Amino acid sequence: MKKIVKDKLPSLWEQLSSQATLFLPVEQDGVVNFAPWEEGDSVNLEALNTVVPPKNVVFPQTETYMRFKVENDKLHIEPFEQNGPYVLFGARPCDVAGITLLDKVFLQEPEDGLYSRRRREGTVISVACNEPDAACFCTSFELEPGMAPGADIMVWDMGDYLLWKAQSEKGEKLTGSVENLLQEAAEEEQKAAMELKERVTAKEAAAAQEMGWDPSGVKETLKDMFDSDIWEQFFRRCLGCGICTYICPTCHCFDIQDYSKDQEGGRFRCWDSCMFADFTLMGSGENPRPTRKERVRQRFMHKLCYYPSNFGLYACVGCGRCVRKCPVNLDIAQVIKEVGGVKSGSE
Amino acid sequence: MSLAQEQAFEPLIVAFCCNWCSYAGGDLAGTSRMTYPANVRVIRVPCSSRVSPNLILRAFQRGADGVLVAGCHPGDCHYVTGNYYARRRFSAMRRFLEYLGIEQERFEVHWISASEGSKFAAVMGEVTEKIRALGPNRKLRDAR
Amino acid sequence: MKQLAEIMKDIAAQSLSRGEVDLVIGWQKGPLWWQSYPAFIEGNEGNGETGSLTWDSFCVPNLSRYLLEELPERKKVALFVKGCDALGFNQILQDKRAEREKVVLYGIPCTGLVDPDKVESAGLGRGLLEVKRDGDELVFVYDSGEQKAQARDFLYDKCLTCRYPNPVVYDQMLGEAAPVQPEERFESVQELEKMDADERFAYWARQFSRCIRCFACRNACPACSCRECIFDIPEPRWLGKANELSETQFYQIIRAYHVAGRCVDCGECTRVCPVNIPLQELNRKFIKDINELYGEYDAGVDPEQEAPLVTYKTDDPAAFTES
Repeated sequence: MKKIVKDKLPSLWEQLSSQATLFLPVEQDGVVNFAPWEEGDSVNLEALNTVVPPKNVVFPQTETYMRFKVENDKLHIEPFEQNGPYVLFGARPCDVAGITLLDKVFLQEPEDGLYSRRRREGTVISVACNEPDAACFCTSFELEPGMAPGADIMVWDMGDYLLWKAQSEKGEKLTGSVENLLQEAAEEEQKAAMELKERVTAKEAAAAQEMGWDPSGVKETLKDMFDSDIWEQFFRRCLGCGICTYICPTCHCFDIQDYSKDQEGGRFRCWDSCMFADFTLMGSGENPRPTRKERVRQRFMHKLCYYPSNFGLYACVGCGRCVRKCPVNLDIAQVIKEVGGVKSGSE
Repeated sequence: MSLAQEQAFEPLIVAFCCNWCSYAGGDLAGTSRMTYPANVRVIRVPCSSRVSPNLILRAFQRGADGVLVAGCHPGDCHYVTGNYYARRRFSAMRRFLEYLGIEQERFEVHWISASEGSKFAAVMGEVTEKIRALGPNRKLRDAR
Repeated sequence: MKQLAEIMKDIAAQSLSRGEVDLVIGWQKGPLWWQSYPAFIEGNEGNGETGSLTWDSFCVPNLSRYLLEELPERKKVALFVKGCDALGFNQILQDKRAEREKVVLYGIPCTGLVDPDKVESAGLGRGLLEVKRDGDELVFVYDSGEQKAQARDFLYDKCLTCRYPNPVVYDQMLGEAAPVQPEERFESVQELEKMDADERFAYWARQFSRCIRCFACRNACPACSCRECIFDIPEPRWLGKANELSETQFYQIIRAYHVAGRCVDCGECTRVCPVNIPLQELNRKFIKDINELYGEYDAGVDPEQEAPLVTYKTDDPAAFTES
């Protein structure tokens, strides 16, 4: 394992950004989000979670992939790519787990070309959590706040320095390119990091224990709950906004649209939200999910029942963003709790 | 802007003109053989109060450097009261755009009657020169 | 405040069991300290759920907006309203989206609600179990004990400038009137007005560039009551779905303009925004200008008074040169 003293981080940012686009958690007006780093940005590695997860790095909110133009009465179409190598530094283990869940969707056959290119071109560096938040519950999904198996490089914040461990070929390669800034980590330093990791996991697991809920059986319970009255108590307070879906590291629904002006334009894909009324609106005017009830149910069924049926894992990583940000506190933790407490077929 | 660019810049002005007064004023300017800059693209609307902020913003998005709404003088509205409402709404809109950092001159409102052909030509000329001096508008434009 | 919660429970149970209303909308407590969310209690005697109603420093969601969805399905609905909720209710009434006789309003005097972000940034969030209001003070409860602090330091900015903490409309008032001590609400607008055009543009462009287009600001707004919103209509699509600055500008300008003269200044837009865009400062610009140009007007105070942008005077001034 290696380490880097924190004084050298500005040099690290400079060096990394000279070889690739460097995404870092950057603070602006009190909001921390991942953004391409520029000299003078205020990098915030302490913030536990960015508002928007780094899924927008591998799956941008808006991505133009084709341009067209009419010239001399002829339509010219050409693919449009803005990609290039990038480094994502500072993703939390839950966020990396979120990307792993997106992989299952986008990299299954037939593979999504835009997504897979972005995944290939990027190196993901995860920073472990030292102190879980009241809204965190990643351990409930068998994740560890101190360890991200899906990251190319894992980093632990040890106060004055960051402990650095390459976990993949890409990670080794990047480590090699910044060797001049790294030092070998001593045995006891490695040990301290591993102890920290265990401590954080235990702490969060204990908090989850205290809350007294266990999502493991929910995916089975929910299979018989499509018509349950339980959705009644949730949907009424939903505002129908898209906060929960856009800040969720595992939500991945998108729409494809064109824009045009005069004789040219482009085709792009952009995030869409199952919470929006027009999400399932069909050309005929028919809408199979006409009210908030069907939409709220869909969101939670997708995360906790349909996705697990398809891929064997819950589509929730316990990052706690919806717990913090839903304006009416309609979060997945409460839903899991309520759903787990109702046995199928009875009320 | 360099001098060469400044000289090459031809502003694009979108003018929403009410059918009953200002558009007719434009017609009078034409039949009277008055000239006004070709930078102005006139769009005929039934009344100045028909111009929703959507139309104004869309014009800016799609490349207008300035937007003008022209209607009947207060008291002369074909629909009796339309321009009274327009006066309030566009006053609020104009100050709001300024608040967002859009130069005030880029959005203008003028009352031009059907008999004011020379005023129509003069206003179009003045607005065009003001916008020419300001330079191209990038602030609300769709950059794609 | 505990006492008020008890009154709320009783009154909700009463009106449901007497069949006066078929739905009560109030607040319930969630498992975490900052969670107090809208609660919907129905049926005879509320199925025993009225006991879960609560009133604390986090009952911030504006309940009047839910009438848009609930009222058409119900005979009569009871609603607890704070000052801002009552203004929102009147606005919905004025926009003809609710019938006064179908609603029972229980007024709640409000002494300001607590912004969880302010608690967190003061470093008081860790291990926090509960926040209680005690007069002008807040009591933060932890496993290890309690800590007191001045409540005003933790209130939402919107509450600090609130001019109507007591409901302007109600059928029954619960509790004694709260003191009215608003700070100047146009200060931020005036600061922005002092900048030059390019600075102002840069300021707003930076704010808008964070917008994720979740539409929470629209969906939380009591003045955004259209049955079908222009931003949702697929054809013609006025608002493109790409997250581009010019599209976001279009959205935010039209949203603010559409509520101009109808915005009750409840500040829910700013509260719900996940990326801290100061949306209330857009709405307040309209309020300030309309006040200056066409006379003082407070949306939501008197539903009989005409809103300033749907009326006129023949001798109105204009913010452009008239000749």
